[in-house]
Amino acid sequence: MGGQIQLVALTKRFGPVTAVDGIDLTVPQGEFFSLLGPSGCGKSTTLRMIAGFEQPTSGRVLLDGTEMAGIPPNKRNVNTVFQSYALFPHLKVYDNVAYGLRRARVERGEIKRRVGEALEQVQLSGLAARKPSQLSGGQQQRVALARALVLSPAVLLLDEPLGSLDAKLRRQLQVELKALQEQVGITFLYVTHDQEEAITMSDRLAVMNQGRVEQAATPREMYEEPATAFVADFLGVSNLMDARATGPAGSGVVLELGPGITVEAGSGDVLARGAVKVVIRPERVGIEQAGVTGPGRIPAMVTRCIYLGNAVRVIAHLASGQAITVLVPHTSNDTPTSWEPGVPVTCHLPASALRVLPVATAAPAAQPVAAT
Amino acid sequence: MRPNWLGRAALTAYFWAFAAFLFFPLAVLVIFAFNQSMTPTLPITGFTTHWFHQAFSDTELLGAVVRSIEIGAATGLFATALGIMASIGLSARRLRLRALIVAVLLLPLVVPYISLAVGMLVLLNQAGLQISLWAVFGGHVVIAMPFAVLVVLPRLRSLDPAMIEAARDLGSNEVTAFGLVTLPLLMPSLVSSFLICFITSFDEFAIASFLAPPGQPTFPVFLYTGSRAPGLLPELIAVGSLIIVGSLGVIALAEGGRRWAERRLRGITAEAAEALTDSGVPALQI
Repeated sequence: MGGQIQLVALTKRFGPVTAVDGIDLTVPQGEFFSLLGPSGCGKSTTLRMIAGFEQPTSGRVLLDGTEMAGIPPNKRNVNTVFQSYALFPHLKVYDNVAYGLRRARVERGEIKRRVGEALEQVQLSGLAARKPSQLSGGQQQRVALARALVLSPAVLLLDEPLGSLDAKLRRQLQVELKALQEQVGITFLYVTHDQEEAITMSDRLAVMNQGRVEQAATPREMYEEPATAFVADFLGVSNLMDARATGPAGSGVVLELGPGITVEAGSGDVLARGAVKVVIRPERVGIEQAGVTGPGRIPAMVTRCIYLGNAVRVIAHLASGQAITVLVPHTSNDTPTSWEPGVPVTCHLPASALRVLPVATAAPAAQPVAAT
Repeated sequence: MRPNWLGRAALTAYFWAFAAFLFFPLAVLVIFAFNQSMTPTLPITGFTTHWFHQAFSDTELLGAVVRSIEIGAATGLFATALGIMASIGLSARRLRLRALIVAVLLLPLVVPYISLAVGMLVLLNQAGLQISLWAVFGGHVVIAMPFAVLVVLPRLRSLDPAMIEAARDLGSNEVTAFGLVTLPLLMPSLVSSFLICFITSFDEFAIASFLAPPGQPTFPVFLYTGSRAPGLLPELIAVGSLIIVGSLGVIALAEGGRRWAERRLRGITAEAAEALTDSGVPALQI
């Protein structure tokens, strides 16, 4: 079946603009891999080079070890689900899905069988005779999916396929897409700017910024051990603070958050000295009564408190100057669900939860990801 | 009580006055086509279809009409084909001298046809060629092509480029992608383009009068020269009124066809809108 993608020093320039800047990436067969990044980070251009719509300026795209340069899109064993779906408005749903099979000169009865199967797979069997314009956005999305999957490509490329759907439908389709991918076992290369989408669906993902891969890892590694400040920020690890690393403390490092206010950090780039970034996830910050002292304790003042149902989000101002977000899970009826703005508290930043990141993000921090 | 009443009446009156100004001369023509008198003057002396019979037995006149239809149809097809090609070129993402190319393509719109006609005649002579109906056809393609570009290009630009990429992605080479996706989606504009080019050619006098060989006039040429011969006038009025009715028929047909094609592409909008609302209200995200 195949479906392994290798990108080797892949680069694309549009005039003076470098859209993709020397990407090295390997996606093994059958993986759900996401390219995540803000708009203009080069993720879509990377996808388009794999599809064959753009030619690399330099570097290589390999599909199962075969160089793809010079092979037109219609001769590549990859298919694309477009952001706009790009369904053919003059053709019925059935003919849209049958389009690729007809170009491949598949025998008529076989076409009928496979189109039927594909439509069933995306739960659209009853709508084969409709025109795309007579379908809802979610249904159009499924037609686009069926149209690409019916050809059994080695790799399915998805360019923000859920981008134009509303939030509720998007969540539902995320689950369906992931289930479908596991069922068909095809490599999915998924482009999105939505970190939640990438984290919930992917086996692995790469965060891209300015044409480079910042980090490629599993969602869990990425979330718990962001390699760069950009990754931490983009994944919504909301507490990203400036600090000065002053010296060693056991296996960790002493960080000065403000004048005279220091904490210990136990993970990340503990050998860094000088200006660094430090991250701590909101759910790892403790909130205690005012006046408590000890390692990792910093006096703070509540500025806002937001009730979320299953948790309370407290935004506080640390004595060292930074704003910090604390997520207090609503685990029992005894836990307080509200702090008045202006109330003094103590924030607990455990050393094990503080992660030091290098400030400079100019050099790509990610190593090429090895094939499994 | 009804502050709108006066304004509405004024607007209605204005509309009918405007319509009368536009269509009264045409109506007069149609009425006189059935008048017994040789001269198109009041009073109406009696009803007759004689002039139609006479026109249809006038081989010279019929020949001119057929000639014009043939040249018009050929112009419509050829100019539209060129218009498609020019539009594809102009819709390229990057194009050197785009403004200059557009200016050159649209130039025939602003050059007086009589200047074009004289220029073409001189050119033919220099090239050692005879004036012919082919030359008329060539001249008409030149003046019709800007219209083709103006009709086809906006439609082409409005197509989602991802649609063509999808066709390529699904196994079409560039030619089949064009034939199976681009062309069907352009069709409404191609029909409009054909009709506009046809009418442009069918109506055109200056170029035809210079380039049509003696004894082979197009209909406008025949009309202008014939209108000076009083004996021909009733026949010309009869044929003219037929052309008016025929034109109205073509316009109705074209508009109907355009709507049909767009409905086919767009689907039944009400149903689509209903289906879209089914997708649900955006959930509040925390």
